[in-house]
Amino acid sequence: MSELRRILHVEDDPSIQAVAKVALEAVGGFTVLTCASGQDALDQIQGFAPDFILLDVMMPDMDGPQTLKNLRAIVDLSQIAVAFMTAKVQPDEIEYYRTLGALDVIIKPFDPMQLAAQVRRIWSQAYG
Amino acid sequence: MDEKTPPLSELQQHLQLLSAKFSERLKHELPELRGMAQALRNTQDPADRKQLLTRVREQLHKLSGSAGTFGFGTLGKQARELELQAVEWLEHLVKQEQGHSAFLDRLEEMTQQNFVMELNAASGQTVTAVSQAALNQRHIYILEHEVELGENLRQTLNNFGYIASHFASVEALDEAIREHMPDALIIESQGLEYAAKLQAQRNDALSLLVVAPQDDFSTQLQAVRAGAMGFFCKPLNFSQLENRLERCFAQQQGDPYRVLIVDDDLELATRYSLVLRGANMQVEIINDPAMIFAHMRDFNPEVVLLDVNMPTCKGPELAQIIRFNDDWLRIPIIYLSAETDIVRQMSALLKAGDDFVTKPISDNALIATVFARAQRARLLSNALSRDSLTGLLKHADIKDQLAVELERTQRKSSIASVVMLDIDHFKQVNDNHGHSAGDNVIRSLANLLRQRLRRVDCLGRYGGEEFLAVLPDCDAEQALRVLDEIRQRFSELCFLSKDGQFSVTLSAGIAMTRSADTAGELLERADRALYAAKHNGRNQVQLGG
Repeated sequence: MSELRRILHVEDDPSIQAVAKVALEAVGGFTVLTCASGQDALDQIQGFAPDFILLDVMMPDMDGPQTLKNLRAIVDLSQIAVAFMTAKVQPDEIEYYRTLGALDVIIKPFDPMQLAAQVRRIWSQAYG
Repeated sequence: MDEKTPPLSELQQHLQLLSAKFSERLKHELPELRGMAQALRNTQDPADRKQLLTRVREQLHKLSGSAGTFGFGTLGKQARELELQAVEWLEHLVKQEQGHSAFLDRLEEMTQQNFVMELNAASGQTVTAVSQAALNQRHIYILEHEVELGENLRQTLNNFGYIASHFASVEALDEAIREHMPDALIIESQGLEYAAKLQAQRNDALSLLVVAPQDDFSTQLQAVRAGAMGFFCKPLNFSQLENRLERCFAQQQGDPYRVLIVDDDLELATRYSLVLRGANMQVEIINDPAMIFAHMRDFNPEVVLLDVNMPTCKGPELAQIIRFNDDWLRIPIIYLSAETDIVRQMSALLKAGDDFVTKPISDNALIATVFARAQRARLLSNALSRDSLTGLLKHADIKDQLAVELERTQRKSSIASVVMLDIDHFKQVNDNHGHSAGDNVIRSLANLLRQRLRRVDCLGRYGGEEFLAVLPDCDAEQALRVLDEIRQRFSELCFLSKDGQFSVTLSAGIAMTRSADTAGELLERADRALYAAKHNGRNQVQLGG
């Protein structure tokens, strides 16, 4: 597995888009592409070639799990890490997201100073 | 912008800007949500209701996930609770059409609160000390045509943790002010006319400090008429000026008063809470008197409002229970009651309690009664527990705070760091530059610590030149980062005495809580770390083992 560099972030809330970009780029030193919807992610994933996909669960039109399913139909996700982001915290829900192919779930609200470390931890637990 | 600003500080400013934008967004979104709540209350059409409720739920979900990230943890927590209720209502929408007015009450109440950025303890996430300090930074504009003096002042204020900008002409200042209004303005006397015009256009006065070449009467009068809160002569004493600035802000922005309401009538309590929150107070409600201890400890109210007639426990009985605890003797207790019989009111007051408010009470009377009591209680408490030179807690009170924080970490299995901090070679400062210069150094360090630490951090003057800080939810590494930045900034401050300029350094030792620590052990470890820092050559911060 290569080094973690490029993160695709799919999120419809502009405030969260902006703060996550700062948190991942300025604090974590990653390259981030922000997509405002599942469709946006489907259109851009091939051009960006991410190492890591960060998916918001609840989005209008196409939600996070559906987006993941549709992404899998067009690209090989076996070499790409996936994590969901959501405000919900029931343990069985986290299990459910894992069965969809996500490595982990990042709970909102997140601390901008800690987000990059959380992502890195998920990555190294899976590939480290 | 300052080119020497380290990258971390730029990041802080960026995050601060994003939080400010989020706060702007709330100004539209909360009223929108309120509109939807009102529409939900009024609609009779099931299809409309479902559509509205779905939108309300989505909005609440967004807030519960985002607010905490931007420092609005209380809002996030409330939104989360309401979201769960909305989901439940959605699921039972078909069966149950009525009976959700309590949900709508709480929703409307949330949308009318005045949320402020805070430490994000509510969501269970730890906002680091560094990022939180960024949220409290204040912008200062300086007008000074002597470029070197202006730049020096800017650098000094930046070291204190303000974001200062310097302008050499009124035109440049005016342009910047049109773009962004600072929190305070430091202006040379030539700019007084401009400052007076600026003040006249504003509803609330801008904090204004004036710097003049000499202290003649007519310039001082002109300064007073322009609404100045401080007047300084050249050569400028930077630390005195900073001290005045700090006092301006402290007056302007005291923490909101904390009020605890104990009433079994939830509807009425919610109504009082709404009125008091409208007057910028922080309110918690309990309906079960047995919950009193947990709330007194965690919320630490400055005023308690007690209903006289509750089913399980009478108000005066509960007041006596509160008075059993010495720590709560200073907290004013106000009874709420329909009781108009003066004899029975007197007998309640004789048992315990300070005042009687008779229901129904007008909003203004309620606010005035609570405000007067809270203000007096806080003044008294500050006068008794704060050091007169620095305004920080005194030795015994900061030790009490340490014990309180330690108990909190053990109850919640969280962490805290304790910092012992000492000014290097302070005796020499007094000997070489005189005691008033020494006092100046101590006051400056106190102000710097207040600026750079978070509001939740406790800070006390432990001894002559020794300080103690307790930083909740902050691990040793984070504490080290913050303290080292403070150490660096303090060493860059320039003090003025009659023999010229001098600078001073500090040493600090940090200890992090362990599970079975006593306050004494924790202090001892911090003290040992401080000793190691001194022994190792001073001007440094050491972590204790």
